[in-house]
Amino acid sequence: MIDPALYDKARDRIAAAGFTPEIQTKITLLVCTAKNGNLMFHSGVQWMQNLNVVQQFILSQYSRELEAVTLLSRTTHWSKDPALAMEGSRIVAPLMLAWGQIMLPPGPMLNPQAAYRGISLGHAQLARIRLLPVIPDKADPLDPFVVALQRIETENGRMLQTQIRLLKNIGTEIPIEEREALVEQDQELVDGVFGEFLTWLAAP
Amino acid sequence: MPTTQYGHHQVHYELTGEAGRPVITFLNGLTQNANLWKSYADYFVPRGYRVLAYDMLGQGRSSKPVIDIKLAMHADLLDHLLEQLDIEKTHLASISFGGIVGLDFAIRYGHRLHSLTAMSTFAELTPQLGLLGAVMLQGLAEVGLPYLQSMLYPMNMSSAWIAANRERIPAMKRAGYIGNDGYAMQNLMESFVEFEPLTPNLHKIKVPTLIMNGEFDFFTPRECHEVIRSKVKNSRLLIVQRAYHAFTLEMPAVTMRQLEIFLEQVGTKTWQGDQSVWIAADDPAAEVQWLPCAGDWMRAVQAQAATVPPAAQAPARRKAPTRKKTP
Repeated sequence: MIDPALYDKARDRIAAAGFTPEIQTKITLLVCTAKNGNLMFHSGVQWMQNLNVVQQFILSQYSRELEAVTLLSRTTHWSKDPALAMEGSRIVAPLMLAWGQIMLPPGPMLNPQAAYRGISLGHAQLARIRLLPVIPDKADPLDPFVVALQRIETENGRMLQTQIRLLKNIGTEIPIEEREALVEQDQELVDGVFGEFLTWLAAP
Repeated sequence: MPTTQYGHHQVHYELTGEAGRPVITFLNGLTQNANLWKSYADYFVPRGYRVLAYDMLGQGRSSKPVIDIKLAMHADLLDHLLEQLDIEKTHLASISFGGIVGLDFAIRYGHRLHSLTAMSTFAELTPQLGLLGAVMLQGLAEVGLPYLQSMLYPMNMSSAWIAANRERIPAMKRAGYIGNDGYAMQNLMESFVEFEPLTPNLHKIKVPTLIMNGEFDFFTPRECHEVIRSKVKNSRLLIVQRAYHAFTLEMPAVTMRQLEIFLEQVGTKTWQGDQSVWIAADDPAAEVQWLPCAGDWMRAVQAQAATVPPAAQAPARRKAPTRKKTP
């Protein structure tokens, strides 16, 4: 669980400064990196053999992640500060590395362990990267960036359903204890990244 | 908050009070966590108790399994936790979802209990409760955690509480949103798919059992508690006046006082488990705390026998106003 004080500090910072281009850029860098990882994974597994009905879900997840990335990217007032991109890349590096490992040859299409790990990491991202608590109470509810964040978070909840169903029901030989441990390990990874991100968001 | 390990799961707990004193263990409801019992620890520790509260699996800072969790696992975990903390016996006070765990624990691990307090809970899914649970799960799955939170406030709390706390509710919801995970909540709710009614085994509960139900609790109404009262011989049903489902949060002073009386009776061996029904006093400072319940406790209204004169039985018809004839 993320320390609630981290959310409070980030929210206080946004309440004081508003959704500046710097703040919007930080948020978008994180969300888009996470979603691009999941997007890449779903594009990699959508043509696996014998998916049957699951293929529809995977294609749907892929499309919804793409929509979220597009929505946020075009709504963001981007900062021109290259240092933000560099620091953002450093913070999200563990996520990029994890997705890179999942996509390593032979790739999740031919590697059931990597396929399960991809579903697990996608679940952790959708479950733990939550930005509604950093939106100040007095933020303009019609601000396009605020609207985009709210819509993405609502959609994340729905996408999570697919991830849960896949985690619970997908045919795998991995014992349940190992699966739970894997899921928990990915949650810790995402919590670590997101905790550091919130600290960065709160910094002036 | 200290942590213990249960299998590959982590369990966060808080144990306050001096070793050697009688322990009260609190079990919380679905979207709650161990912190919510802090005021109870502040009340009971100076009165000579130790208080144990912990985040159940899927809640707060404890592990939140995604794939599978059996309802029975919660009672097994409590047994393990007591073992780890070297607590041989405890008083157990549990509410709502925690109440089911409490009943299950009392059935299977009764030898570890001094007493049981089951609040706002049920032993089996009534048709109404089954549908309510399905709607809650659907809301969580299709709309999301914020929706479920918004739904639970009016289900758990009175209008008076909501009116008095309207300003604080957004911050409280935010804290709940941060502390809870939709998938963990969903997993807990889906564990009811395999829920076997506890009713056939309630007779195995032998320890002193106080059943507490809010007067206006429409989430787990009287019929749920009546099942428990009628099957647990060493029990009493205590109705909390004007209370809704989450009266431990809305009326902590009243709840603590009732618990204190019950625990004193158990401690001094003056408890009488006779399946009788009582009403808790509104005022925790009142001299008499448990008031006899007159009439049918299953009903919301009490009709009197028709002994009044026939003329008084129905309101008199109003006479039609005399109209002046128009010219």
